[in-house]
Amino acid sequence: MNKNISSIAFKDNNLIIKNSSNSIKIEKSINFDKDNELHIDVSPADQTQRIVLDVDTHDDETFNLKIFLKINENAKLEFLDESTYKGNSNFELITKLEKNACLESYKLNKFNKNKINNFYHDCSLLESSSFKDYIFSNGSKENLNRTTINLNDINSSYLGSGVAISDSTNSNNVVEIRHNAKSSTSDCFFKTVARGNSTISFDGTIFVDNHCSKTISNQVSKGLLIGKESKINLVPKLEIYNDDVQCSHGAASGQPDAKTLFYLTSRGISKTEAEDLYIKGFLSEFFDTIDNAQMMTKAKEYISLNN
Amino acid sequence: MIEIKNLNVSVEENKILNNLSLTVKTGEVHAITGPNGSGKSTIAHTLAGNPNYIVESGSVNFNNKNLLEMEPTERSLEGLFLAFQYPIEIPGVSNASYLRQILNSHRKHQGLEPIDAAEFLKLLKEKSALLKMPMEMHSRFVNSGFSGGEKKKNEVLQMDLLNPKLIIMDETDSGLDVDALKLTADVVNQMRSEKRSLIIVTHYLRLLEYIKPDYVHIFQNGQIIESGDHTLASRIDKEGYE
Ligand SMILES: Nc1ncnc2c1ncn2[C@@H]1O[C@H](COP(=O)(O)OP(=O)(O)O)[C@@H](O)[C@H]1O
Ligand SMILES: [Mg+2]
Repeated sequence: MNKNISSIAFKDNNLIIKNSSNSIKIEKSINFDKDNELHIDVSPADQTQRIVLDVDTHDDETFNLKIFLKINENAKLEFLDESTYKGNSNFELITKLEKNACLESYKLNKFNKNKINNFYHDCSLLESSSFKDYIFSNGSKENLNRTTINLNDINSSYLGSGVAISDSTNSNNVVEIRHNAKSSTSDCFFKTVARGNSTISFDGTIFVDNHCSKTISNQVSKGLLIGKESKINLVPKLEIYNDDVQCSHGAASGQPDAKTLFYLTSRGISKTEAEDLYIKGFLSEFFDTIDNAQMMTKAKEYISLNN
Repeated sequence: MIEIKNLNVSVEENKILNNLSLTVKTGEVHAITGPNGSGKSTIAHTLAGNPNYIVESGSVNFNNKNLLEMEPTERSLEGLFLAFQYPIEIPGVSNASYLRQILNSHRKHQGLEPIDAAEFLKLLKEKSALLKMPMEMHSRFVNSGFSGGEKKKNEVLQMDLLNPKLIIMDETDSGLDVDALKLTADVVNQMRSEKRSLIIVTHYLRLLEYIKPDYVHIFQNGQIIESGDHTLASRIDKEGYE
């Protein structure tokens, strides 16, 4: 069995994966092929099914996990990762969405400033399937989030949002969206706040293959530089080989507006409190993209805790 | 209360205030009027500590402290309040939580406990009623989508909540309709006290009919060119600044 995982349990349609020893009940459809690999098949159910990854790793161990996730035709799944990664980690997720399948993924992770943490996600979507992806990160010594989306069939769609709030940490965010079939849509929104001597990057590639007419693709990335030493690098890349597409992209980063900070401090709150309010305003736009109320609350909590 | 001596201020390398001197004693109400671009907002922003306004020389004594050495936060906590000519919008932050936060910052400075939610709501209702501000406005984001008049009312509300020692009102009357102007004047007159001073910056003079200032100063090219009592205001109203 996996060295890192000590418990996997199914409870009311929720699959709970833990590394501390609690009750264990391994569902038949889940099996570990070899160390660190987990295969999960999700079939349609009456209720929303959810996988909760809730690990709390030691700072002197490297946590490795690879999950193969297949969401079958018409099945819906929520994936929630609220883990605290105290040590190094490598987490790889390979997902396949069959026809009409839905995946909503929320990663609200806390990393250790001095560690190296990698997250790779490769997602392939078939006809009319949809994936909503939310990634929150506070950065670490080296923090990589790499997502590849393959829109392989008509009417497949991707909505991706990322927020990185870092305090003298680094975060590299790479999102590659490949439109490999016609009439697929993607919407990618990335926001970051950099404090102290943080370095944050966002590389957003949109690829549209030559036969992929009626593609709709939007990408927006915005950065807020709080620390004098912080750096933000937003790089949108477009590789579009079809004319019948609607694509837009925008990238902008800058410092908080001095007039706003002056207004706030002139009312007797400290510069730091004023900046925090400004950040709250900057990120508030982001919440409009989350329509799941419970997750919206979690996201707001995450942001206020890391702010 | 405040003593401004030979103040020279520049903005983006343009000299705006020219050797300005002005003393406002505790309990006094001074009005400053003058044409557009004469430097009225520059005085207001310099006193509140806007870092864009560079003090080249001169001194400002505020209740026996060197005002120019203080950060904007500290100036506010020590009792200086500037009602902005152009209030700033803060998206994503509700007006109610913002108002409570600034009030609690002042309470903390005074060694008081933070105000609890119920008590704050009561206070907010009371103060909003004076200005006929609907409570619904406080669940909106700070100044976002407020009309010009609503923004100005929100400034007056903050001024009333924070209970400052020295109030500087920068063109608060512009953008207000006749009723709102009257309500604002009522709040100001209620706040007028022996312990508090006011500097009212305006170029409309309407507000001065409701709030009879002790002194009126005419401002031009970054200098006071004439001072007098409130009758000076009515003279300018008839004859203009020339
Ligand atoms: N941020 C700024 N940059 C450049 N010039 C400015 C700035 N702010 C004010 N000024 C100039 O300073 C002068 C005085 O402006 P202000 O104090 O706003 O006048 P008033 O309030 O009397 O209308 C004007 O000529 C204005 O153009
Ligand atoms: Mg002005």
